[in-house]
Amino acid sequence: MGTLLRTALRNLSRQKRRTVLLSGAIAFGVMVVTVINGFAGSFLENVTENFGQLLAGHIFIEGVERDEDRGEIQIIRDDEALLAAIERSGVNARFLTRRSDVRGTLVFGGRTASQQIVGADWSVESALTERIVLEEGSFDGVRNGNGLIVGRPTANLLRLEVGDPVLVRLRTINGQQNVGEFRISGISFDPGFVAGLTAYADRSYINELLQIDAQEYRQLGLLLSTLTEIDESADRIFEEMAATLDVFERSPEDADTNPISALFDQARTEEWEGVRYRLYTLNEIVSDAQQIVVVLNQVSVVVLVVLLGITMIGITNTFRMVMFERIREIGTMRALGMQKAQVLALFLAEALMLAVLGVLAGLLAAAALMAVLSQFYIGLDTPIFVLLKDGYFTFRVRPGQSLLHMTLVVLFTVSAAWFPARRASELPPVEALRSTN
Amino acid sequence: MFFHRTARRASVVLGLLFLVPVLGADTPDFDTMLREVDQLGQFGDRDFSGVYTIVSQVPGQDDSVTQARLFRRDRSDQFVLIILQPQIQRGQGYLQTGDTVYFYDPESRRFERTTLRDSIQGTDAQNRDLVRGNLSQDYRVTDWELGRLGSFDTYILDLEATGTGVDYDRIRLWVRTDRPVVLREENYSVSGRLLRTLLFPRYANVGGQAVPTQILIVDGINDGERTQITLRDPSVAPIPDGVFTRDYLERVSR
Repeated sequence: MGTLLRTALRNLSRQKRRTVLLSGAIAFGVMVVTVINGFAGSFLENVTENFGQLLAGHIFIEGVERDEDRGEIQIIRDDEALLAAIERSGVNARFLTRRSDVRGTLVFGGRTASQQIVGADWSVESALTERIVLEEGSFDGVRNGNGLIVGRPTANLLRLEVGDPVLVRLRTINGQQNVGEFRISGISFDPGFVAGLTAYADRSYINELLQIDAQEYRQLGLLLSTLTEIDESADRIFEEMAATLDVFERSPEDADTNPISALFDQARTEEWEGVRYRLYTLNEIVSDAQQIVVVLNQVSVVVLVVLLGITMIGITNTFRMVMFERIREIGTMRALGMQKAQVLALFLAEALMLAVLGVLAGLLAAAALMAVLSQFYIGLDTPIFVLLKDGYFTFRVRPGQSLLHMTLVVLFTVSAAWFPARRASELPPVEALRSTN
Repeated sequence: MFFHRTARRASVVLGLLFLVPVLGADTPDFDTMLREVDQLGQFGDRDFSGVYTIVSQVPGQDDSVTQARLFRRDRSDQFVLIILQPQIQRGQGYLQTGDTVYFYDPESRRFERTTLRDSIQGTDAQNRDLVRGNLSQDYRVTDWELGRLGSFDTYILDLEATGTGVDYDRIRLWVRTDRPVVLREENYSVSGRLLRTLLFPRYANVGGQAVPTQILIVDGINDGERTQITLRDPSVAPIPDGVFTRDYLERVSR
């Protein structure tokens, strides 16, 4: 075996240029799919983390009260029992966020825009000021008072500038009509789907408009240390909550589509007294993003197959050429007692070595490319910010996916060499020796 | 000096004499007045039906026209509202049975709970504008004055919500002094901002009750936004029981 591999390596080194070109083609394919693999690996992680920062949590808990006249009321009036359940669960949150949000209609200069307005406690949510990139203005206004930060699309739609007074039509927690008088304190960069629909304000003013007490709020968010803890932590907290509090079922049987929709549907169809809590996670919110990862995986395999398909034609032709070039050599070896299977094995070993060289070179190139790409600061003021980690590309190559790719490369390369190798092994020694090539 | 003192006393006495008619005038019984206002649009044992056309005007946009047929049975707090126009929303409907209001969407074939506060097809008009009010229970009079609106003498009443179960925290109402007919209504937010003004220029006698056949709603926040509601074919003819059911809404939407 050792002799076979050494001979194969020696044969490859005899035609350095050809070997470099063939293994280079394989390496290019490996590099491309490895980078896609690495990107897909960190994609979900980064999306989840970024959403976690914007939504201020990895696990969310909401209290829901039902009133015949007022309908569904989302509020946490007293979180003592809730916090006790979290403590009993043993889950250590990095920090807790208490937010009050409301859907309102911004009115300015005869124009209107519907927005979700998030009231945050800015003294706790320092991370939010790092995540929201302001194009104009500052966070001073929202920290205390009636300041409002809107996204660029909303500002453009309403022709708003920093300092403009804006009215917001909304409903109190009881469903009564109310109007807030805000002043634009900042206009944020629009990174796409989330910030464009959300405005930010101070929680105390939102509470005032909602007509709820200062210590009351609408959503408790738990930000964990790592994303891998989300599902297990949520299970533990839910178990403790279910033991002492009235809770909505987390995964109802009729959850045929989105788990969040199924959870929220329960509040519209069920009857209960007092407050009932619902718990959901960021993983459930971004469950649709999982589909993107699946698509990326499929794309990487298709790209690899296409690239290898092209390379295979080159490998097959090259090995046929090699066979003709070395036909007398094959004849000599066969005359000296080398069996057909050994000739076949020699050619296949050369193809294998070629594949291994290509894979190694491809992995090295991919590592270098990923290292270079992850050095560039893309920034948070970009539409792809949600895919980045703190403004940088990150890559996490998944070994399983990578192994699948490598196996495909080896199989394709060896298959490409199979027919010329078989033909070489089938040559009668006399005819091979008679050849003038 | 004496002359001045006497003159001052005389002026005080005269002033008091002038005040007597005002102070002595009976303060109207506003609780009764509000009950009468509520009763005015109340059909009691009789059913009520009619077709409402809601025209919404927003500056810079084409007028939107919504037409809906209303069936009311006040004695059992039931109503059914079926959207006839625009075509895209045809078949959508609202059903109130007792305290519960449902919205039916024929596209999803689902009933969802809603409230009387919901606006009708995104206009300034609300379901509550088309069904009988409950001012006497939901509000109390906090202040009043006499005023004139057009050619009518009116009581101008400031109402404050007795609870949080109503859409508007405060209402200002212009009620004719000679009969309990509302001519104008202003709705205010919790923060005290004028949200909308309703004008009732026309009433019709339907089965002995005064029913507004035209309502103009002026948006207090969005300048230039107006909504006009007109009623045609009002009737107090009996309505079959089957109309006030989910089945009926599903059937007519097909």
